Amino acid sequence: MMKKVYLIGALAIGFAACKPSVNVSPTPTSGSVDFTSYLAVGNSLTAGYADGSLYVTGQLNSYPERLFEQFSQVSQHGAQGPFVQPLLTSDQGYPSAKLVLARTYVSCMPWDSSLGAVSFPGWIANAADAAPYVSSGPNGQINNIGVPGIRMVDYPVEGYASNIYGTGQYNPYAARFYNNTASTPLQELYFRVHNLHPTFFTFWLGANDVLGYALAGGQGDGSGTTSPILINYYNTSDISNFTAFEKAYDTALKVAISTGATGGALINIPDVAKLPYFNTIPANGLTVTRTGQLDSLKAAWPGSRYSFAMGSNYFLIKDHAGSTRQAVQGELILLSVPQDSILCAGWGSAKPIPNQYVITTDELQYIENAISTFNSFIQNEALVYNLAYVDMNSFMNSVSTGFAYSGIDYSTQFVSGGAFSLDGIHLTPRGYALVADQIITSINSKYGSTVHQVDANQFNGILYP
Amino acid sequence: MKKQLLALSLFLSATASFGSGYQLNLQGLRELAMGGTGTAMQWDVSTIFYNPAGLSRINDIQVYGSILAVAPNTAFSNATSIGTSTSSSYNTVSQTFTPFNFYIGGQVASHSKLALGLGIYTPFGTGVQWDANWIGKYMVQEVKLSTVFIQPTISYRVSEFFSVGGGFIFATGTMDYRQALPFNFENGSNVSASNTQTAEAHLHGQGTGVGFNLGTQFKFSDRLYIGLTYRSQVNMDLNGGSATFQVPPTVASYFPTTGFDSQLPLPQVASLGIAVKPDAEKRLTLQLDFNYTGWSSFDSLRFNFFTNTQYLQNEHYPRMYRNTLTSRLGGNYKISRVVSVMAGAAYDPTPVTNGYVSPDLPDADRILLTCGVSVKPARKITLIAALESTNGLKRNGMYTYGNFSGTYQTNALTTGIGAYYNF
Repeated sequence: MMKKVYLIGALAIGFAACKPSVNVSPTPTSGSVDFTSYLAVGNSLTAGYADGSLYVTGQLNSYPERLFEQFSQVSQHGAQGPFVQPLLTSDQGYPSAKLVLARTYVSCMPWDSSLGAVSFPGWIANAADAAPYVSSGPNGQINNIGVPGIRMVDYPVEGYASNIYGTGQYNPYAARFYNNTASTPLQELYFRVHNLHPTFFTFWLGANDVLGYALAGGQGDGSGTTSPILINYYNTSDISNFTAFEKAYDTALKVAISTGATGGALINIPDVAKLPYFNTIPANGLTVTRTGQLDSLKAAWPGSRYSFAMGSNYFLIKDHAGSTRQAVQGELILLSVPQDSILCAGWGSAKPIPNQYVITTDELQYIENAISTFNSFIQNEALVYNLAYVDMNSFMNSVSTGFAYSGIDYSTQFVSGGAFSLDGIHLTPRGYALVADQIITSINSKYGSTVHQVDANQFNGILYP
Repeated sequence: MKKQLLALSLFLSATASFGSGYQLNLQGLRELAMGGTGTAMQWDVSTIFYNPAGLSRINDIQVYGSILAVAPNTAFSNATSIGTSTSSSYNTVSQTFTPFNFYIGGQVASHSKLALGLGIYTPFGTGVQWDANWIGKYMVQEVKLSTVFIQPTISYRVSEFFSVGGGFIFATGTMDYRQALPFNFENGSNVSASNTQTAEAHLHGQGTGVGFNLGTQFKFSDRLYIGLTYRSQVNMDLNGGSATFQVPPTVASYFPTTGFDSQLPLPQVASLGIAVKPDAEKRLTLQLDFNYTGWSSFDSLRFNFFTNTQYLQNEHYPRMYRNTLTSRLGGNYKISRVVSVMAGAAYDPTPVTNGYVSPDLPDADRILLTCGVSVKPARKITLIAALESTNGLKRNGMYTYGNFSGTYQTNALTTGIGAYYNF
């Protein structure tokens, strides 16, 4: 009898010992590639640019940093540190202040404050930030050579980091860390590749070849066939010449793989027109609430070309050809349009919004055409060089239509959307982590690797004071 | 004395348990130790819960008290297939819950056909607390539900063969829900890649509900009993709960401290039980129970806030639970007039359907193994200890609503001690 009772006691101890464990994640493996030394090539998105500037926290949250962390968990052929990024010293923004969230108001309506993006108050130029960056890594290595603002067509341009179109005119981000500021970005890439001998690389260039045109409200020609404005330098407010783009892309890619990289990922160009920057102020944001307003609008703009009613109306704009008309559905107003001019100076109602703040239907067509041309080319390059192709364009589109991820709803809603930082173009740390996840998915599928995803929820969205 | 010490050691070596969904089946220790069976015949006054019809078959007035220690643990990994996982896995924070039972009742006079009783017990409850910065923090950080049912009961023994019973249920309960909100606090010009503090919502509600518990018992012979019970659904109305938010000052106006309404259905359960005593000496009792639980009434969890703002909208989490049939088997072996031992097992399928596996109640099919011992140190007093091991099956699940998926497993060990006294 006692034996039986003791048996129950033993059973109890057996029961109490078990604790659930579901560590079913497979050990990360590298598949057919070698992540030992990883090089990130790109523009502002690669540099970790956010909130309208470059600053240390942004750099530390860049997607290449996230990728390196995940690559380094791979036991065999995993990434070896250090992962050197050309870090700034200050966190306030370089070369100008970053944006922060604060209560703000339109100057003509000081009584009506709302939460908005303002320049970091008390920003001061930091001499250490402006000084040339010296890598502390072995052999002076730099693993992230993302340069904010750089276009594909800038790659063959001499003096990109010193004097693009005259003394003192240069890309300040490139100037900080380029090994030789007189050289072309392509030569810099060659130097970095031969310095690091990357076994794996990511390559995300091309967005600025379209974005400049969009940010200028489609001021350039847009056709992708224009000539350089100076030697081989193209107008930054225009869509890059397609042929020059493709030549530069292919040349740079050949350099990236020239030291025997085992693999790489080519990331395509997101649809810039879907960014919050272009979708926060609606084209039909002219709100009429009183009949008096409606009457004066109708009196000011007579004729059948105009239609006004109570409620939402399309703004008056200057189109590409310089004529005044009402905006139509699908046209975009830039976030840069002065709010006080809209609210108090009659922009869009008493007088048209200047074309530099508007992307009209035909300009949008040019943007979409360029992106699809560039992306087809990039996809083909991935095929030709047997590299992973990351369709970031589709992913960003899914953000704009809205999706949920681990309990957070994402959208391109300015500020509250979650993925985009306060400049409405670049990403939050959480957004960059999602980007890293997309890249990892493509790499795993291409190379049969099992690199773990990033837990994006560990990273910040927009910071609220 | 040694036996009592052993009973104590059972208690101390223990951690935890839950039934499927948020139902607890811990209302009587002997029944618990017998796989949760107890519909067919009364063992003691805890029959007020298991089958009110049994109360009129208890010869004395009995007072019954028990306390249990439940400390469930759930592990989570968001690995759903190769290459789509983070490297981390997570375990819930260890917690111990202490549901209790109290019963008093019996025949109004010696050999009377009428019996009265009162039960105070905790039939539903759950508690999950995840690490503050776990991957699913924007889904849930902590959820706590506790209920207490108060059930005055009347039972009548029509004949030796047939008895009926019924009780009115007054239910009271509280619920707490904590969740991170995707608003990160700015903490100066920090230079770091790590996460800053996130905003948080805390919902606290309490409510009441009413219902009833009915039962019939058929005693075919000293060796065969059958019981049928029906416990109604109790709608717990959590009206006027309080919602408080810890958010950055700039968005504080979007998150006012406000009230909210919510409702939680505590589902109806219909049970059939059979008890047999196969040996001539009637030392062994075997019981088989089936519980059909009407979980389908839990179609969503709603929080309707009294004040809505741009960021604070009513929450509506779809649940779409399904009805479940739990099968239970248990035995009691009377070793002597002093000592009995019990053992049992049950299969408790989950009411949570695929696509609705949410980390606030990461439920899966469960296999329950139970055992226990009762000791009668004196003529009128009985001590019982019970042990239940809840083994949740590993479940690969997704909650479509927040696009959150992963693999869960919940284990728990429950221990209980209690005593009853016959007047």
